[in-house]
Amino acid sequence: MADIPDTAPSRLRLPRLGLRDLWAEADSIQRIAALLAISLALAALLAPWIAPYDPTAQSLLSRLRPPVGFERFKDGFWLGTDELGRDMLSRGLYGLRLTLTLAMLGACIGLAVGSVLGLLAGVVGGIADSLVMALVDVQIAVPFTLIALLVVAVFGADIEVLIIVLGVYGWEQYARIVRGEVLKLREMPFVEAARATGASQARIALVHILPNVTSPLVVQFTLAFSNIVLLESTLSFLGLGVQPPTATLGSMVGIGRDYMPSAPWIVMVPAVAILLVTFAVQIMGDWLRDRADVRLRGR
Amino acid sequence: MLEFVALRVARMFVTIFVIVTAVFFATRLSGDALDFVVAPGMTEEDRIALTAYYGLDGTTWQQYVRYLGAFMQGEFGLSFLERRPVAEIVAERIWPSLQLLLASVGFTLSVSIPLGVIAAVYRQSWIGSAVMSLAFLGYAIPNFVLATLLVLIFAYTLNWLPVVGNGTVWHFLMPTFALSAYMIAGLTRFTRNAMLDVLSQDYMRTARAKGLAERVVILKHGLRNASITVLSVVGLQIAGLAASGSVVVETIFSWPGLGDLLVESAIRRDYPVLQFGVLSVAVAVILINTIVDLAYTWADPRLRLARA
Amino acid sequence: MKKLLLGTAMALLAIPALAAEITVGAANVSDYLDPGRDHSNVGSQFYYNAFDTLIGKNHDTLELEWKPALATEWTLVEPTVMELKLREGVTFHNGEPMTADDVVFSLNRMYQADFPPYQVRQRDRLSNFEKAEKVDDLTVRVHAKREEPLWETLLNLQQVMIIPEAYTKGLTGDPKVAEHDDFEAFSLAPVGTGPYRITEFQPGEKVVYERYDDFWGEKAPLDKATVRRMPETASRITALKTGEADIVTNIAPDQLALIDADPDLKHEGSATALFHVMIMNVNHPNLKSAKLRQALSYAIDRDTLNEALWLGKSVIPSTHTMKEMGALHMPELTTFEYNPELAKKLVKESGYDGAEIQFDAFPVYYTNGVLAAQAIMEMWKEIGVNGKLNVTDKWTGNDTTMMTRSWSNPMYFADPFGSFGVMWAPGGPSESVGRFNTDDAYKATWEKFRFSKDVDDRKTAYVELMDRIKQDPPVLPLWRPFESWGMKSTVNWAPKPGHIPYVLDFRAGSISLAGS
Repeated sequence: MADIPDTAPSRLRLPRLGLRDLWAEADSIQRIAALLAISLALAALLAPWIAPYDPTAQSLLSRLRPPVGFERFKDGFWLGTDELGRDMLSRGLYGLRLTLTLAMLGACIGLAVGSVLGLLAGVVGGIADSLVMALVDVQIAVPFTLIALLVVAVFGADIEVLIIVLGVYGWEQYARIVRGEVLKLREMPFVEAARATGASQARIALVHILPNVTSPLVVQFTLAFSNIVLLESTLSFLGLGVQPPTATLGSMVGIGRDYMPSAPWIVMVPAVAILLVTFAVQIMGDWLRDRADVRLRGR
Repeated sequence: MLEFVALRVARMFVTIFVIVTAVFFATRLSGDALDFVVAPGMTEEDRIALTAYYGLDGTTWQQYVRYLGAFMQGEFGLSFLERRPVAEIVAERIWPSLQLLLASVGFTLSVSIPLGVIAAVYRQSWIGSAVMSLAFLGYAIPNFVLATLLVLIFAYTLNWLPVVGNGTVWHFLMPTFALSAYMIAGLTRFTRNAMLDVLSQDYMRTARAKGLAERVVILKHGLRNASITVLSVVGLQIAGLAASGSVVVETIFSWPGLGDLLVESAIRRDYPVLQFGVLSVAVAVILINTIVDLAYTWADPRLRLARA
Repeated sequence: MKKLLLGTAMALLAIPALAAEITVGAANVSDYLDPGRDHSNVGSQFYYNAFDTLIGKNHDTLELEWKPALATEWTLVEPTVMELKLREGVTFHNGEPMTADDVVFSLNRMYQADFPPYQVRQRDRLSNFEKAEKVDDLTVRVHAKREEPLWETLLNLQQVMIIPEAYTKGLTGDPKVAEHDDFEAFSLAPVGTGPYRITEFQPGEKVVYERYDDFWGEKAPLDKATVRRMPETASRITALKTGEADIVTNIAPDQLALIDADPDLKHEGSATALFHVMIMNVNHPNLKSAKLRQALSYAIDRDTLNEALWLGKSVIPSTHTMKEMGALHMPELTTFEYNPELAKKLVKESGYDGAEIQFDAFPVYYTNGVLAAQAIMEMWKEIGVNGKLNVTDKWTGNDTTMMTRSWSNPMYFADPFGSFGVMWAPGGPSESVGRFNTDDAYKATWEKFRFSKDVDDRKTAYVELMDRIKQDPPVLPLWRPFESWGMKSTVNWAPKPGHIPYVLDFRAGSISLAGS
């Protein structure tokens, strides 16, 4: 058991270990998640090269063919065809690619905006705090789906608009978390000590406080990432996602849902892909969180 | 304390005013309502007549002034589609939504807090992993896929449960579960993480060192302190669910709720309904958050002291 | 376990075994119920059960076969004046007797409309009528402005169904005056003379009909019919299986196999009397060339789409015509066809520069709408046209920036005037918003088509109009969509050929339940 210094956890660094050490200490679920994450990322990255067909190429007379192993399977279309006879595998790969791009961009924008505003509110206080919290109030008080609906209605359902909408998602949660942690940490001895030694507010924020909110932020980031994937599919359910024939995993599920009883693979292929993405992201998020928390590592 | 409450009330009014204004202008920016409300195929003459009929004549600014004037007198307007007072329309939808909300929150709390504590305490055994894997499942499936799967299994195939409306207690089972799965997943994770944070604190070591039983340590000191984080998350989740989270489930189960109304009115540009609906939800959410905030203050002695 | 749950659930659903009651799961329910202002596809489901017109129609046949309804006889007393004798002993659902005053009120609220929603309908189909007047308690006269070849048709419209005067005027404000608020209030609490009363109406959610025992004609076969909104396709089909619905609307062809696979269920359908169409903005800079628009039209393989998306059950028209139109049904014309080679040639000749051609489509409103739109984009790609799909709930047909979009052109009544004529009249809804042009020649031909008393003259004029459309196309009728209803095997119901689209007709002779 490592000795835990009682006075000095003012910085919690992610301990720098080699990949090999990381692998060695991971449990089997974490290893699976890591492998999965890598393969999903690779599949998304290489979609244009590994997809067997153009994802929008239709064959109208071979619609709704099931995946391999079922009756009426059409050779070469391993995961079946969709409602316009497009190859599910190719659409799935391209969908994965776009979904991951959207979610990553969206989650990063939200994280950046939210943490900066949260830090500002917590550390500076006063008017800055009131303003940020007023914004948070407004954001929280209006259902996000509605905000998204209105934004998409005003600006159209272009990919750029969608990224911004998804980016706005959840900033208030980061802001509240950061602010809440700051309020808590402000009273902690090590911050008071720093203040007593005359450290500037910016220094306190960046050096003493930010590292300490990493763990809830990482968790929030992984939540937001999968939430954004789901949100995008909800927007598609409501008819406000990406424009067909472009597909994301979410829009494939959202648009294909009418076929759930009659041609379930249209929904199940992207739904399983969504499941794998969120699984990988969340397990890795937990893993990071546990590792980041030095205090826990001692137990 | 009085000052604190007064401040909250003032903030609430600012929030509401900002929302009312923002929604008003956003709707006007999003295109001519006639293109959505009226069946296609009007002549220009029809268009002019109907624009006046729906009160959409004049500049946006004039409309806004008119709207605020009526608003102050408690007149919130007529629905473009149904031509009856929006307050009446929204009022019809509140109770079904609230029923579903309460059922889901109750179910979520009773499942996820115990699960979260268990996952934290047994974080290094298979029990913890099993709980977290289950919890993650709720997070990973879009709720309409889950809802449709439930429908396919329990209604379509087995014919056990009804799928339309909110008539009986049986009607609640599938929608409640479909809505809760997501919240359970979130809350379980947060409870676990909050517990982990707390369990590693110095005062926990002190409590253990004092020789208290592990169970008491965890429940009394641990859960009590973790509840601060948990509370804020519950508040956020309820607020988020108040309308937006439930629209999909309401649609699938033909549930006559508020989420369905709001999204329909946004898609079909029924501005008066949308404006009043958003406002109602906003007021509800603000009230919930105020309550949560008070509870938060109460639960965290440091904040309690700071505000007193 | 299964039995227990099922039993309890069913008991709680409270479906008495003896009463003839049904529940209909509809994809959409009206937001208001006023036959006068409504001409939507959603609304037309609801009026026929509760309201009557003066002149009735035999809906079992495609032929135009007029029947007495609220009027027992009608004669043309002058070239522009129709005299109608009213049926005795008719009462409204509120118990009041129907008189000539009610009829005159109902007609004039449309003919001399000052309520904007009525004005819109007056302009698009009733503009040839001047007024209705009372002769005595059971006689009314209707005055047309010009000689009217379509008298019966236009007195059989949903928009001129009869409503009670005193009741309507008394709804708000001064009970002696018909204020706009009265009409608004009426559309939330509608009263008619039909075989069913509307006993409950939750706008957008639910309509409940109950048998009206004092109906003047053959009594309604059902005690009660409830139409509920069930927006999700999967939920509607499931509701049939759980017994929560007896009939469900809007089942896409792709889902029919599910229903047919269950021995307790069946489907009924018909190629509905409306066209899904593609409209093209003849005045958009990208589409100025008639050749390009012809090419866009020739590129679309409607037969393959029918095969793929509609199981071959839709009807692909060669011109803008329907068999309901009797003597004016002209399937011999070839105004629209598939010819990709010609399309490619026309694209070249048009000088098309590769500009993006946007195609707007509603997300869910039309069965197979978005699927067809995506397929059309691929077909355009084949002839070298760069199409871009834009799915939106907005009706873009009034925007000058609209290029092409999907729409529907219903048969509001069984005459080319009731379908092509309403939409493509000179100064009508297409021209007045600037995406269609007419000239004096078109106008003259149109007048001949609309008002000639001689059927052959009307036909000749219509042929000319179709030729104009072919040369400079603003529209392509895609198909008469095959619309289906799913139902329990015990329900005997099917859409009748003589109705306008989507009517839920539960009158005597239209529906029966096995075992009741």
